[in-house]
Amino acid sequence: MSEKVCALLLRLYPAEFREAYGDEAIQLIHDRARDEQGMWAKLRLWIDLAADLATVLPRAHRRAAPVRATVSPQSIGVAPRFHVLQPATPRLSAVAYGGILSAVAFGALFLWFGYSRNYRELHTWQGPTKHDLIALSFSGRHSNVRRESEMPLAAVANPERKIEVSGRPAHTLLSSWQGGSEPSGFHAMGLLPGGPQSSVEPQSAQPNVQAATAAMIEASSSHDVVMLGEVHGDKQEYQWLNQLVMNREFSRRVDDIVVEFGNSLYQKSVDRYIGGQEVPIEQVEKAWRNMIGAVGPPSPLYGEFYAAVRAANMKNRGKHQMRIVLGDPYGDWEKIKDAEDLGPYLAHRDEWYAQVVKDEVLAKKHHALLIMGSGHFLRRNGPALVESTIRAAGADPYLIVMGTNAVGGYDNLDQRFDSWPIPAIIALAGNWVGDLPAMPVVSGGTAPATPLKLSAAADALLYVGSRDSLVEVRMPGAELDGTPYGNEIARRLAIQMGHPAHLVFGQTEVPQFPRPQPPPQPTSGARPPLLPMPKSIHDPLPPRPPSQ
Amino acid sequence: MPKRKLDPLPAAAFQILLALTDGDRHGYSIMRQVEEQTSGKMRLGPGTLYSSIQAMLEAELIEEATRRGDVEPGHERRRYYRLTAAGRKRARSEAERLADVLRVARARKILRGDYV
Repeated sequence: MSEKVCALLLRLYPAEFREAYGDEAIQLIHDRARDEQGMWAKLRLWIDLAADLATVLPRAHRRAAPVRATVSPQSIGVAPRFHVLQPATPRLSAVAYGGILSAVAFGALFLWFGYSRNYRELHTWQGPTKHDLIALSFSGRHSNVRRESEMPLAAVANPERKIEVSGRPAHTLLSSWQGGSEPSGFHAMGLLPGGPQSSVEPQSAQPNVQAATAAMIEASSSHDVVMLGEVHGDKQEYQWLNQLVMNREFSRRVDDIVVEFGNSLYQKSVDRYIGGQEVPIEQVEKAWRNMIGAVGPPSPLYGEFYAAVRAANMKNRGKHQMRIVLGDPYGDWEKIKDAEDLGPYLAHRDEWYAQVVKDEVLAKKHHALLIMGSGHFLRRNGPALVESTIRAAGADPYLIVMGTNAVGGYDNLDQRFDSWPIPAIIALAGNWVGDLPAMPVVSGGTAPATPLKLSAAADALLYVGSRDSLVEVRMPGAELDGTPYGNEIARRLAIQMGHPAHLVFGQTEVPQFPRPQPPPQPTSGARPPLLPMPKSIHDPLPPRPPSQ
Repeated sequence: MPKRKLDPLPAAAFQILLALTDGDRHGYSIMRQVEEQTSGKMRLGPGTLYSSIQAMLEAELIEEATRRGDVEPGHERRRYYRLTAAGRKRARSEAERLADVLRVARARKILRGDYV
């Protein structure tokens, strides 16, 4: 019976459809009616058929509608002219012709803009202005602290001040613990008397600006280890990194990605997660939410990066797989009750990271990308600890640091960067980019220029956008405000700073390099005491517990 | 007649491509396979199934397989379909696109509380 009804229903479809698939459709309904016994099953079959009919019928008739000829409103001469509209795919020749025309037009525009920009460059570059020098003088007095330690130091200066949620895994408190009355950091390199030097020579050789992904693949091919000095929580930087790991060429060349934003205690969970296994995300995210080196909540970008590597591995299942190796010390925040418990882990962060690279990368003859804050990797007076350690172990790493177009003071932005593709990687040897002062470039102009040139500080520069376009992504307040994790972050801050801290929740996306502000003046007039240095920073790392 | 657009790939068409990844199937078999791989959430009616098949034949994502020798009595009306190389490639790219979407959704914690 159902077959007869279906045959009638089929008559509702366009003739073309009936001729092509009518028999098969009846066969299908026949099969369903045979296999789906019982009243409910039969009812469901008819409901399905009705729904299918209602959905498909109008579309089928639209598709089968005859092509109409239209009459042009123009009648020229004695005979009317007709245009017949027929749906058809564009001819290949038409597509090619359009493509060539577009390429010529875009090429002409590009050349025109390129020449205009070059013309401006030669006539506007005059080195730092008076305004820049004032800004640099100001920053020389007040911003001689590594950005990473701004927050805890500000809190020490005014214990009543509320702590703004940074989202930036601010680095170490050791600069305040170890630096005496003047915290170490950028200041340790010394300011130039009378302000920064303009080291840019317009005649310097032009740089080879490469698309970042291609340059990174090239570097990964020529070097077993590529070090990337990152800017914490930068949106554009991590957008590119997430794309990079999905690139088949990159994922084929790189075995390990060693990250600062991952507590080694959770390597086992991360291995399973990155390998594509089903792991509760609450277990995996401990790796980046329980970092030892972070002050304040971590940026959500880190979790997204882990997910991107996992997705890349799943995409390439059965082929070469990447691994995320966790380079943060294995301190367990559940067992850290005070600064003395924390001290050994903070004191040995770079040593531990280097040890992880030696054990997990070099000993296995792997290719790796190392990601850590620029401050850890910059060559100031030669290679920093991580690089010197792995060089001693036989590695020959290539160092890329992220930087921007701030080349002097905060307001001294170099327009020559504007013509570069984004993101780009620029080798620094023998060109005017390498001659730029390193500190403003890597700090977005928030740190003063020093004699250190970019070419001495790194092998290449990663450029993901102009300083004022860069965005820092912070953890949403909803994940912290009154939540157990928010309370835990407040507890950690109290340990790190030596007094209670209150979290204030702001926007999740803020400028990466805001204009430096003078620190609040202490109400008492005297400089507040610095956080006492725990004795335990001289202790070796405790034995490593089993990985979770 | 205008060709049916397959960009973006409709969900039904994607499921049919997936159903054909492990071998040739006729219409009813495709319908059953889709029902199984979607845990019963998608049951293709004859109109949806065959209009999708028609569109994918036109786009050369699938092709009609040669009739099998062991045709069962009463099954003469069946036609078998198989995935083409282009169809396999298209299914893979669609799966990758969805994986990207899923990755973002996971990162945005839309899927909280579940195993991911």
